[in-house]
Amino acid sequence: MGFNLIHYWKALLIGGVLSLSLASLLANAEDAGNLFNTPYDINQGERYFERQCSRCHGFDAKGNDETGAPDLTGRLSRASSNVGIFNIIREGVPNTAMLPVDSDLPDERVWQLVTYIESLRYDPSSVELAGSANSGDTLFRGKGECADCHMVNGQGGRLGPDLSRIGESAAPDELMSSMTNPHDNVAPRWWTISVTGPDGITRNGFRMGEDSFSLRIMDNDADLWSFRKNQIQSYERIEQSTMPSYDQSLSESELDDLVAYLFSLRREEN
Amino acid sequence: MKRALLTLSTLMVTTALSQLTAQEQQFETVMTPAFSPITWERLVDARQEPENWLMYSGTLDSQRYSLLDNITVDNIDQLEMKWAYQIPVIDRAETVPLVVDGIMFITEAPSNLVAVDAATGRQYWRYDHELPEDLRICCGRNNRGVAILGETLYMSTLDAHLVAIDARTGNLIWDVEVAEHSSGYSKTAAPMIVKDKVVTGIAGGEFGIRGFIDAYDAVTGELAWRTYTVPGPGEFGNDTWSGDSWETGGAATWITGAYDADLNLVYWGTGNPGPDWNGDARLGDNLYSDSALALNGDTGEIEWYFQFTPHDVHDWDAIQVPILADIDFQGQQRKVMMWANRNAFFYTIDRATGQFLTGKPFATQTWAEGLDANGQPIRVPGLFPTYEGIMVSPPITGGTNWYSPGYSQQTGYFYVTSFDGEQIFFKRDEDYEEGERFTGGGGRYDQPMDAFHSSIRAIDPATAEIQWEFPIMPRSSAGITTTAGGLVFTGSADGYFFALNAETGEELWNISLGRRVHSAPITFEAEGKQYVSIASGNVVYTFGLRD
Repeated sequence: MGFNLIHYWKALLIGGVLSLSLASLLANAEDAGNLFNTPYDINQGERYFERQCSRCHGFDAKGNDETGAPDLTGRLSRASSNVGIFNIIREGVPNTAMLPVDSDLPDERVWQLVTYIESLRYDPSSVELAGSANSGDTLFRGKGECADCHMVNGQGGRLGPDLSRIGESAAPDELMSSMTNPHDNVAPRWWTISVTGPDGITRNGFRMGEDSFSLRIMDNDADLWSFRKNQIQSYERIEQSTMPSYDQSLSESELDDLVAYLFSLRREEN
Repeated sequence: MKRALLTLSTLMVTTALSQLTAQEQQFETVMTPAFSPITWERLVDARQEPENWLMYSGTLDSQRYSLLDNITVDNIDQLEMKWAYQIPVIDRAETVPLVVDGIMFITEAPSNLVAVDAATGRQYWRYDHELPEDLRICCGRNNRGVAILGETLYMSTLDAHLVAIDARTGNLIWDVEVAEHSSGYSKTAAPMIVKDKVVTGIAGGEFGIRGFIDAYDAVTGELAWRTYTVPGPGEFGNDTWSGDSWETGGAATWITGAYDADLNLVYWGTGNPGPDWNGDARLGDNLYSDSALALNGDTGEIEWYFQFTPHDVHDWDAIQVPILADIDFQGQQRKVMMWANRNAFFYTIDRATGQFLTGKPFATQTWAEGLDANGQPIRVPGLFPTYEGIMVSPPITGGTNWYSPGYSQQTGYFYVTSFDGEQIFFKRDEDYEEGERFTGGGGRYDQPMDAFHSSIRAIDPATAEIQWEFPIMPRSSAGITTTAGGLVFTGSADGYFFALNAETGEELWNISLGRRVHSAPITFEAEGKQYVSIASGNVVYTFGLRD
């Protein structure tokens, strides 16, 4: 009990400090909501982003592994509000290449940038979908046979991406496209490799990892294999998805239901 | 009798003293104190003391070819890690250390320097450079290395200063501001010593700076000469810039050059014209952007230039380390400079005159039909960036980039880390604002990086033909070092350090270091043993043969 009490007071103290420090910024945030949230501001923010930020974060804001700059189009790991984004732009991230913007840059421009970054995402509750998430859930586990290959919250197969939080990273139209045109934009993790090992046996599997000198695959039995490239007889990379297209096998309304279900899959907010 | 005794005792004392002296001398021959001053003559003859790595590219000709041959094609399978130095600041390490008589000097992000024992990696001293908060850097908090003359190290810093550091203690000797950092200038490259001067470049090509190459008095830090890489009014080449566009013309000089002592010429590359991707307001060839410059070693005067990409609109900096060698070209011995450019073409140039000798693509490119007799590109029309975006190869990062190529005197081949990629180029309209980025567009890949192709390529400089290639995962930014042991050492984007047979490209040895290699290897000798060092991720690893 005493332990909990101490933490309770700590929480109160921290909360108090945060409330104080956020108070002034929130005033700005509210201003931003009123003054710097128009299509014009998004456009101005985008122009500034392309000029000042795209070298590291990419022209499409999708980040860059080489520079270590994160993808700004999905959930942000360092900021959960527009105030948080504002602070990162204003103050930078210490000990990283993310430097603060010029201290002379007016708040207006920073808020336009925040507005642009926020425009890359959207409030999922504002999205209206034709399908039913409940029906989609049933389809996912039944007729669609999706769960044979995909896991959701620890239940399902291993032969496709875990979809437990797919609603956070994919928009409804992208979800639809991935079911009807699965070979478009396949992530390298879901390419397959056919490799003939030193034992002369050819194995096919998902491309878990490939680097300059080695390969790692998972076959259809979910067995994991590792190979040194200089010890194998041959290998072939297939840059396609193993997923079938559901364009013909499911009706339009069934696909809508699946989209609604998949879009509802996101981390539970506490 | 007394005298005899005295004489005897004198003799005994003398003998004892001479024994002591002998012991001291014996002691000294076994235990030589680390580090001795580096004269200009030692730098000119650096290849003749392969136990050391005395400058960024090893020698003034920048070949990165070491005469050390303890580690060979036949025993490299005995290579093992000897020590690792963890850089305390978490960032990527682009450092190329120096080794001077048993001491290794390692630069760290953002602008720090540490001296360690080259045989153990344990620290002697460190220098932490204090940086302002309002830095203007385009592409990370990088530092690539130092130069040494006498007992002093010279380092570039991100706030566009040049500092002189005492090699024995790490004490600051002088600190000069090369340019105003808040205007967009910064410094990341290792300086180069030419006689009694420190020659050094500048970064900031994405901020509309006016590029230059400087030389400073090594003792006092006073500016000896400055050569602008964008000519001013009345100077030759100023008319290759429309209007006042020369004022923000870029042509930064952010990698280390080379020097020919016989010709007394400094060779240095220049970067993109500004703004990078929108050439509408800077019509003309935009001299001396994307060029190789040959400067008089005493005055900095431009003796000749060779522009690889006139009126560049794709950010294809000629920021590569020039490699100098004397080769047989069409039956004649020629003093040449070899250059694999970011624009995906390889060039062999007469380094006395700047005359183009031969050149061909070494990586995938779609922007030029080829090179004409003078080495100038024959452009494919209609491939300038657009507002909607247009696909061009090579991408912004180029067929290669700033990372060092290598050359082997054994094979006569030039080695380069190459990338076959493509990118959608966009154009944007921007007005110049001091201290703000001034790029006029950007680029976007439309495929995952793994879909592209990278390799180490060996090129015959006499024909510009590729002799072999060794595929690696894209996109490596590791440099290359060659040795008299018949080896090519380099690294990869996926964190390997590896060795190839210099003659055939055959894979000989590799080790996974776990993080991207952003630097070039060096090789040296300490306590009679050959070592090879490379930075990967945040760590400098050193390898030697199993005892």
